[in-house]
Amino acid sequence: MPDSDFFPLTDRGPDETLAFGAEGPVRVAPFVEHARRLARRFPDHRYVINLLTDRYQYLLGFCAATLAGQCTLMPPNRLPRTLERLKREYPDCHVLGEDAQPFDCPPRPAGTALYGMPEIAADQLCAIAFTSGTTGNPKANAKYWRTLRAGSKGNAHLLLDRSVLQLNLLATVPPQHMWGMEMSILLPLFAGTAVSHRTPFFPQDIADALEALPVPRALISSPVHLEALIKSGIPLAEVSGIFTATAPLSADLASSLEERFDTTVTDVFGCSETGVLAARRTSRDANWRLSDGFRMITGPDGTLVHGSHLPEDVMIPDIIEMVAGNAFRLLGRHQDMINIAGKRGSLAELNQRLNAMPGVNDGVIFMPGNSNRLAAMVVAPALSLADIRHYLGSRVEAVFLPRPIYLVAGLPRQETGKLARKAVLELFERLSQVNKPAGISASGSGA
Amino acid sequence: MQAQTEQEREVAELIVATLNLEDTDASELAPEEPLFGEGLGLDSIDALELALAISQKYSVQLKADDKNIQEAFATLRSLSKYIEENAA
Repeated sequence: MPDSDFFPLTDRGPDETLAFGAEGPVRVAPFVEHARRLARRFPDHRYVINLLTDRYQYLLGFCAATLAGQCTLMPPNRLPRTLERLKREYPDCHVLGEDAQPFDCPPRPAGTALYGMPEIAADQLCAIAFTSGTTGNPKANAKYWRTLRAGSKGNAHLLLDRSVLQLNLLATVPPQHMWGMEMSILLPLFAGTAVSHRTPFFPQDIADALEALPVPRALISSPVHLEALIKSGIPLAEVSGIFTATAPLSADLASSLEERFDTTVTDVFGCSETGVLAARRTSRDANWRLSDGFRMITGPDGTLVHGSHLPEDVMIPDIIEMVAGNAFRLLGRHQDMINIAGKRGSLAELNQRLNAMPGVNDGVIFMPGNSNRLAAMVVAPALSLADIRHYLGSRVEAVFLPRPIYLVAGLPRQETGKLARKAVLELFERLSQVNKPAGISASGSGA
Repeated sequence: MQAQTEQEREVAELIVATLNLEDTDASELAPEEPLFGEGLGLDSIDALELALAISQKYSVQLKADDKNIQEAFATLRSLSKYIEENAA
């Protein structure tokens, strides 16, 4: 692609609705003029960290940054140390929405005239998504305008019903995460959708925010939120589709959701490096439909993903088998890789951290069979659970903190030193039985 | 450590049971210690599970839009107080 290519900021018509802000629906023309005015006020920097939690403001901030030629950094979380590190690595940056500061933004223009649609260079670096590492050393993934645009158009083709002219979106996932960015920020710019400014969290919040949107509506979420929603028993207003990603969706949960809310549930497969790759209706389909524009090269330890709009080919830890045309089966994941609440990590790396702790003679962190949370068994005669929790707590992401942690006399290692998963699970099961009634605790909770 | 009230003890037991904190004794949860981050190290998945358990036991639907919710989840004491004030 020649460097001189440009694409518009949005493919939507000037009178179409792009978002539902706190003050009501926002059409494209005043939105673009607003973003243009905001862009002129931005301080002169190469990068911007957009922490805005109101999704409409995030969209506005992202578009203003793009118009100003600034690249939006997408922090993997909001922890102070994550932000400190980002600012160290990208010193030429400014921050939107830190410490819940009011968004310094010019008022929305009263007129609706659009003075020409701004165009963005295809090879402008518009965002950097960070792949969350277990220990918080994220890898940067460059997103050029052509990457974001082609990816989003592919998503619309893969996921949206073309007979629906405008679908109104509500997302429970933050826009700073790639899944949230693609579905709630980019989709409204490139396909017939409009997004709510809200990010509901608890089931009652989801129900309220959904009801506030006009039909037809879709919910963009994750298995964690959806499971809480089903268990709460709270009814939902009419919803045409539910899209979920970030963790595996069970067929049971998919069917329950479809039945309870009279809707279709689409599970979406992808990662921060590639964006959305494939989708399936889990209640019916075993196979995944690969999005147009991608090609997969299968291997024994993972899969190489090629996309003409991606800056480079990407190796993913998932093992797949192509079945027919653009369909594939997911056979599994490289054993070491874990995925919790949208964060990906390496078990080997976590185990290294644990065993590097002074006072730990031996230890194992593992994923119990029927859980979505890691557990640990540790041989450390001189340490308390609080010591171990404290040590790990400052070194690994919260979602990777094992729980429970059991202090044991020894691990069931074979003569070769190998630790079989089966033996680990058996010991864990025994310890769990013993510890079940009302928390018999050897040491305190740090109290 | 400050003593738990009867209501706080009940909420502490609910937290320990809901979140499978097998290695924690409910009676040892300090009422003023943070539940998330540094303290017990709970995360947003825990918040959802806890909210569900609270709605089932006390018929209190937690809403993040509620400006008090961040404060409510800060400690055992604040959560227990929030439940008491909002219980049906």
